[in-house]
Amino acid sequence: MALSGRFRSALIIGGQGIRARKLRTFLSMISLFLGVLAVVAVQAGAEIADRAMLSDIELSAGKDGTLVLNFPSNNDAGTVMADTLAGRSDAVGVDNAMGIIGEPGVAPVNPGASPLKYAGRGGYGGPSMVCDQTGCHEIKQDDNPPPPGQAIEVRLIGLTGDIRQFRPFQLEAGRWLDFGGEPSMSPGLVLNREAAAALNQYRLPAELRITGSTANPTPRILGVVHDGSDGPAVYLRADELSLWKTAGDAQGYLSVYLNPSAADIEQTLKARLVARGADPGNLQTYPVEARKQIESELRLLRLIFLAMAALVLLIGIAGILNVGLATVGERIEEFALRRAVGTPRMLLAGIVLAETLIIGLLTAAAAVGVGIVGLKLAASMFGGRFQMLQGVEFPWQAGLAGVIAGLAAGVLGGLLPAIRAARIPIATVMRA
Amino acid sequence: MTPLIELTGLTKTLKGQGEPRTILSGVDLTVRDGDSVAILGRSGSGKSTLLSLIGLFDRPDGGRYLLGGQDITKLSERRAARLRSDEFGFVFQRFFLLKHLTAAQNVAMALVNGQGWAARRKRRAKVLAALDLVGIAHLAKHKPPRLSGGEQQRVAIARALVREPKILLADEPTGALDTETGALVIEVLHAATARGCGLILVTHDHAHANRMNRVVRLADGRLVQGGQV
Repeated sequence: MALSGRFRSALIIGGQGIRARKLRTFLSMISLFLGVLAVVAVQAGAEIADRAMLSDIELSAGKDGTLVLNFPSNNDAGTVMADTLAGRSDAVGVDNAMGIIGEPGVAPVNPGASPLKYAGRGGYGGPSMVCDQTGCHEIKQDDNPPPPGQAIEVRLIGLTGDIRQFRPFQLEAGRWLDFGGEPSMSPGLVLNREAAAALNQYRLPAELRITGSTANPTPRILGVVHDGSDGPAVYLRADELSLWKTAGDAQGYLSVYLNPSAADIEQTLKARLVARGADPGNLQTYPVEARKQIESELRLLRLIFLAMAALVLLIGIAGILNVGLATVGERIEEFALRRAVGTPRMLLAGIVLAETLIIGLLTAAAAVGVGIVGLKLAASMFGGRFQMLQGVEFPWQAGLAGVIAGLAAGVLGGLLPAIRAARIPIATVMRA
Repeated sequence: MTPLIELTGLTKTLKGQGEPRTILSGVDLTVRDGDSVAILGRSGSGKSTLLSLIGLFDRPDGGRYLLGGQDITKLSERRAARLRSDEFGFVFQRFFLLKHLTAAQNVAMALVNGQGWAARRKRRAKVLAALDLVGIAHLAKHKPPRLSGGEQQRVAIARALVREPKILLADEPTGALDTETGALVIEVLHAATARGCGLILVTHDHAHANRMNRVVRLADGRLVQGGQV
């Protein structure tokens, strides 16, 4: 009750003080506003960047907690993987191959499935490489390379099931792969953005050449997804890919994405692969830790910006402190009088702190409000140009950071004036 | 019957930038319930210092101070604040009203001081009763700049009375008022003693002093003259 009475008294008297000095309160708020806004902006920016990066990294690496098993694709590993994972929804196998879509008998514009921004520059630059269990090797170039033409090279990614539970691809057009029913001789393809853009740009005839295959299938384009990759890639059913992929093309690595609860599949698959001669040392499972990776990448950047925001906030606090000390100087008689009528020193300090805390909270509310409106405006004005801003929501963490900054500024800016107010001697003032 | 206030050999030395100056050098004073005591003395004789010791604004250097029989010579600031709130009412020469608050809010200041809590309705009733006691309930919503000096002092008296103190301490309450208004204020203060409240009045005005039960004179740091008027 006593604490409640003091708390209420502090709020009532603090409110009276603020109402009596509206202009001064407003000026204090202005001095603090930029500091709190800087904290809100840095926190909001970091959270939005975090989410955008997490979303990108989830597309390419997988959601946090997903287990990934990589292994060399020799010794019928692809067949073992397909047989083991058949009918399981909690694990998806990924097979890889290279393919060329477009005019037959010509060199692709992007050798090595490099991003199209390198088109016509010989791919990523340097010799084309291939990696397998023995290491990475340069691909021997043809003495008589085909002439350049209307074709693009893509990564063909064969899936044994719906991988979107692990890598949340965003469907942008058409439909996703249907894993029910028998595989088709005309493979259904889902293109990523880069592949779709290439097809659109070069108006390619829909013929697919799979590296190592002796015949070229005519694919069906099913849809387009955003997969976070900047090189052209095409997703298809692993069983449809295997119809055209020759056994001699078994190179590189296969991957299996596993739900953490699917330990039995992991053990079975490893056992079967070892039985087929795979080296157990090459069967490594690792968990996806996307958030941890992002946080370590953003930590330093966030700290630098927060330090800058803290500096601006400190200037605001100095402003509150200055105004607070001047105000206490002007209110000596009031505080002495309040002590004379029985107000304890602690409550006097509480009154001054309550005023600066209210100022801090009002400023935080204003800064968070401006942050929310600013973000909405930015999203509506620049959302088309920056994907990060599309449908972006104001992060609650930024609001919380603003409130904490406002409260901290209120405490730091009000502490010294509060101590000074509590020390005012009654006798000296009332005798004067 | 236990005296309300009993001071024995109270001393006080003020330490400023120059030499320490002894203001009170052994003051003895006893005040009983309903007593009204006038303290006279020249400027600088220590009247206000004595009042600030009695009102617990300051602490004596020596002697003994009993309040209702309890020794409060050495007291924590926390306890002193509680006693200032519950036992004393203060009236000053310069009114000390807050200009941004109404008369009612100025009176309520003594209730919103962290010493207990009363609901808004109860506070309002007490404030209006105190203002009514000094005859200015109709000015409750007026702010000090719109009030005359006499009205302002009556607001200050209402503030002193609102917690129903056992003793009123008035430090030259008529010093800033004309004779007629001053007499009215003394009348109001005197009326409070009729309700059992003690009154210690510091004044230069013999006419006002003579309205009290007792008059004491402070000279050379001691109460050199006293007794019934």
